[in-house]
Amino acid sequence: MSARRVRMFALIAISLVFLLAWAFPIVWSVLNSLKTDPDVLAYPPKLIFSPTLDAYRDVLFGSGSILPNLVSSIVISVGTTIVTMLMAIPAAYALARLRFRGKKFAGFYVLATQMLPPVGIIIPYFLVLRNIGWIDTYQGIILIYLSFSLPFAIWLLVSYFEDIPFEMEEAAYLDGASRLRTLRRIIIPQVRGGIAVTVVFVFLNAWNEFLFAVVLSGNTVRPVTVAMFNFVSVEQTLWAKLAAVSVLAMLPVVALGVVAQKHIVKGLTVGAVKGGGRR
Amino acid sequence: MKLHRPTRRTFLKTGTAAATLMGFGPALLRQAAAQEADLAPYKSAKIDWQQATGETITVAVIPASYFENLITLAPQFKTLTGIDVRFEKIPPAQIRQKSVIDLTSKTGTYATHAADPMYYALYAANKWVEPLDTYLKDPKLTDPAWFNFDDIIPAWRSADSVGGKLYGVPYDGEVTIQVYRKDLYDAKGLKPANTLEAYMANAAALNSPNDRVWGAALRGVAGAGQNMYIYPSIFREFGGEWLKGGKLTVNGPEAEAALAWYIDLMRKYAPTAAANWNWPDIADAFSQGTVASYIDAHSSASVVNNPEKSKVIGKVAYARWPKGPSGKRVTSIWNWGFPINSALPEKRKKATWLFIQWAASAETQARTAHRFAGPAKRSGVNRSSIWRDPEYVKLMNGFGDNFVEATMEALQSDTDVDWRPRVPQWPAIGDTMATAIQSALSGQATIKVALDDAQRRIEPMMRG
Repeated sequence: MSARRVRMFALIAISLVFLLAWAFPIVWSVLNSLKTDPDVLAYPPKLIFSPTLDAYRDVLFGSGSILPNLVSSIVISVGTTIVTMLMAIPAAYALARLRFRGKKFAGFYVLATQMLPPVGIIIPYFLVLRNIGWIDTYQGIILIYLSFSLPFAIWLLVSYFEDIPFEMEEAAYLDGASRLRTLRRIIIPQVRGGIAVTVVFVFLNAWNEFLFAVVLSGNTVRPVTVAMFNFVSVEQTLWAKLAAVSVLAMLPVVALGVVAQKHIVKGLTVGAVKGGGRR
Repeated sequence: MKLHRPTRRTFLKTGTAAATLMGFGPALLRQAAAQEADLAPYKSAKIDWQQATGETITVAVIPASYFENLITLAPQFKTLTGIDVRFEKIPPAQIRQKSVIDLTSKTGTYATHAADPMYYALYAANKWVEPLDTYLKDPKLTDPAWFNFDDIIPAWRSADSVGGKLYGVPYDGEVTIQVYRKDLYDAKGLKPANTLEAYMANAAALNSPNDRVWGAALRGVAGAGQNMYIYPSIFREFGGEWLKGGKLTVNGPEAEAALAWYIDLMRKYAPTAAANWNWPDIADAFSQGTVASYIDAHSSASVVNNPEKSKVIGKVAYARWPKGPSGKRVTSIWNWGFPINSALPEKRKKATWLFIQWAASAETQARTAHRFAGPAKRSGVNRSSIWRDPEYVKLMNGFGDNFVEATMEALQSDTDVDWRPRVPQWPAIGDTMATAIQSALSGQATIKVALDDAQRRIEPMMRG
């Protein structure tokens, strides 16, 4: 009993350490976003201070408002997610179910596109977009984001589709349903959890992307990840405002995470026990 | 990496720092209306300002008040020349990347950009940018008497030249100087250091971590524009030469002595965290009263004099770099200059030159500095004549004792255009050296091992 207790306390202690390490930057950002710049710099760090929303007001409604950047980020992330899912679901279904020539190769090829280091393909992407006049446009950035979100989504979804018993499909065929109808009515509802997980990850990746965005964006389309950098200016680091933007940029992701949390947890345990994700 | 600019105190008092840095909102538009807009001073130049009318050029700049001021005046340039200028603000870390991608792919996206002077060797070697002498000497494009190119700070001009050929025109710049706490120095009867040895002794005398005051701080974080912005001055002051018999050399006895001095100062008399500090962190610490002295850009004066944050206003004074064992003072110098992208069509090149000439002219420099209607005034104006203008000097001397004198002496007597190795391979060399310095500072490698290792890595780059 006491040995078990000791182990329990040790586990809790270790978990607390990890929790602290994980939560500290976020808590610190939130605290700093409510401070004035002198309070941010104060030593010893002030835990008690009069909170102010000045930083938020400035970054949202000041002359350097990041609202347009938040809009850019939302358009890019939502656009990328929708197009990715529209293409990834049929593709993943095909890879999981259909028998066709070169299927193995196709599956490998989808993965292989992910093996190139992004830095190596920025310049080609830049040139291609530049030649078709898509630099600094939503369609340009979404197109490039598809190049990494699509393979990721396909591979994630394939495993979900493969887990669905073929008998369910057969039953639908026997009732006279076409393949497309079966996909829409039988299969997709079955992989709802997997789709939710994929949506969250695709959205997250697009939302947090920086490397491509900084090169391919411009004055018109500039996601918040790039705009944030302007608070680390060459003249001074505007800590409170930087923290405020970070918190604001976290919000949509946190919201999506809360909504999809149930599915994410399910998604992570999928594969632990075959088929366990849907029962 | 480029530093911040001094700004007038009221600028920061109004709390619009972010507004001015980030945007170009209604407040600035109102200022633009208040800004003097008389074009007569420009029209006295004997050139046809309208010769490239109808062109549109894109200019990449960094988000900084000195460029915001210029952007505010862009409508005047449009009226004067009929040329549309589209500004794109890119953070300093990315502007190099984006402009190199643009130049290497010859897409001509940016007609000109705020360029890192250390990149001109690379640009020139690849013929990515235009030699500017032809533009300067063309009477149709430049009125030499009006533009008075020689009035631009010589150190910055030569930093923007390669092999005697000009590739960029300085718009705004800086120089490193000693910044110290007069009150602390006076209390101990200390004088600002005249030698590196004295600087170390001052730091030792004032170092008192128990009272949360450290003797000194220098940039510690690794980066071609961070620790490799300060270390090269020390290396040159210890008698180091980057090019020994035509061979780039970063190791040897002078380098070891220089790095030893830097590490000694940082380990003994700087806050431990300074190993990861860049200049804004140093200036923040100094303004909180925890650092007695630092050597960094003159433009950091605005941060340590920011009435919103600083606790040391009225206690700050300035001096030139201390001399090294070689008897030399070698400052680190910097400027953001404008080159012309070679990939542009001829007429757009001319339009770009007209823009550069306008931006670098004494008139525009004054209108974006002490005569700017907005709150942010520039401390990096490119014109010697403005640095002698009593109105401007008065404004700058608000930063503390000896500010203008130290800055001017440093710019005139203490600069050495080759304080860093100006070779096309610089970006890679700068990074290699930055890592070496940091690994020695953190104790991962001994000084000699770190430098010899850097030398081994750099040699193949120079062959390649």
